Amino acid sequence: MPTFASMQTMLNIIRLNFRLEWTARRSYFSLLIYILSTVYLCNLIFSQSISLESWNAFYWVIFLFAAVQAANRSFYFESDRRFLLYYGLVKPEQLIFGKILYNFIYLLVLGIFTAFFFALFMGLAISDFFAFGLVLTIAALGFSAILTLVSGIAAKAGANPALPAILSIPLLYPQILTLAKLSLRSLSGFSWEVNAPLLIVLALLALVSLLLSYLLFPYLWRD
Amino acid sequence: MKGIWWKVLGPVLVLYSIIMGLYGPVPRLPILNETIRVLYYHVPMWFAMIAMMLGSLIYSIQALGEKNGADLKAFEFAQTGFLLASLGLLTGMVWARFTWGAFWVNDPKLNGTAVTMLVYLAYFVLRSSVEDLQKKARLAGVYNIFAFVMMIVFIGILPRMTDSLHPGNGGNPGFNQYDLDSNMRPIFYSAVLGWILIGLWITQLRIRYKKLNND
Repeated sequence: MPTFASMQTMLNIIRLNFRLEWTARRSYFSLLIYILSTVYLCNLIFSQSISLESWNAFYWVIFLFAAVQAANRSFYFESDRRFLLYYGLVKPEQLIFGKILYNFIYLLVLGIFTAFFFALFMGLAISDFFAFGLVLTIAALGFSAILTLVSGIAAKAGANPALPAILSIPLLYPQILTLAKLSLRSLSGFSWEVNAPLLIVLALLALVSLLLSYLLFPYLWRD
Repeated sequence: MKGIWWKVLGPVLVLYSIIMGLYGPVPRLPILNETIRVLYYHVPMWFAMIAMMLGSLIYSIQALGEKNGADLKAFEFAQTGFLLASLGLLTGMVWARFTWGAFWVNDPKLNGTAVTMLVYLAYFVLRSSVEDLQKKARLAGVYNIFAFVMMIVFIGILPRMTDSLHPGNGGNPGFNQYDLDSNMRPIFYSAVLGWILIGLWITQLRIRYKKLNND
């Protein structure tokens, strides 16, 4: 269970990950440019007359691919000998939670950026900001739990560039299906009574993903 | 499982369900009409698939406990499950063409099937892209457990949150009440059991074949 010391370790992991990525800033910027260019592509295709359904669908597809690429780098720096160094220093549970938290923050920021670019180029479609933000937050948590574990699997499996996407996208379907429905309603007007069960399903899906990652990561970790 | 009895029982039960499924009396229902007989040929595929995937899950858990040969068994169970899923999909598509008018419609149960098949295809790709046997067992085991849980969520929980075109859901003339039809029930259950046994047999033969090839 997370004691104060292990919380400290997790914070250190998050900080270390951020520093390592920041020294080679190009991965952050390349993702931003990816989001910018795909959103602009949507703008070109739709020439600014986009329905709410398409807004919703394109938003989540673009966010999903950005998330897969972002989380794919979770174990980029550990693929060499650093794994061995960590082995003696931290527990696998702390490592996976640290990485999931780091990715959670990362994906949340990416989601906000995507929404910002969408609003800029295709009009602000969100009618209930709080509901949309809540859906995005739960989605970022669930996505990061699955994507972090899958990127661990892909990192260990070696170089097959398509592997992270094919492994993670089918696992994300239940969440995407639920949250696409929810977020569409947050675009057109959100009723908390109607949507509460779906929100609970989404939160439970995120929780199950977190639990599975927590339980299964120690087996990946051993070598 | 030891002995020959279950290898005889499986085909006998399936044969019984095929003959009685075509010959036996069925209730006359609007929309479904005679296609209600697909209950004997389509639905048992999914029951048998879930049983095979459950076997795959159990061996994957064993593989994480470093048990020798468990990974191969998990893989073969998943392959048999995939075969049964393909058969279930094909029989369902033929039925859907005549009942709903199209081979593929957007229905929660069909989405669930598509996800299940994609997840297990990803599992096969993952297994084939790792060379080292122990590493393969661990990575595939971790992914398989994750995949099974997500599959159960997708086909067991999410469809209950929405309407389905399938009989028995959302105001369609249903199997649920007619499952209780005393003529249909024994044929249906014998088909389910028969296909599970045949699935086990296929898996067992394939595991033996792989083991002989490796030695």
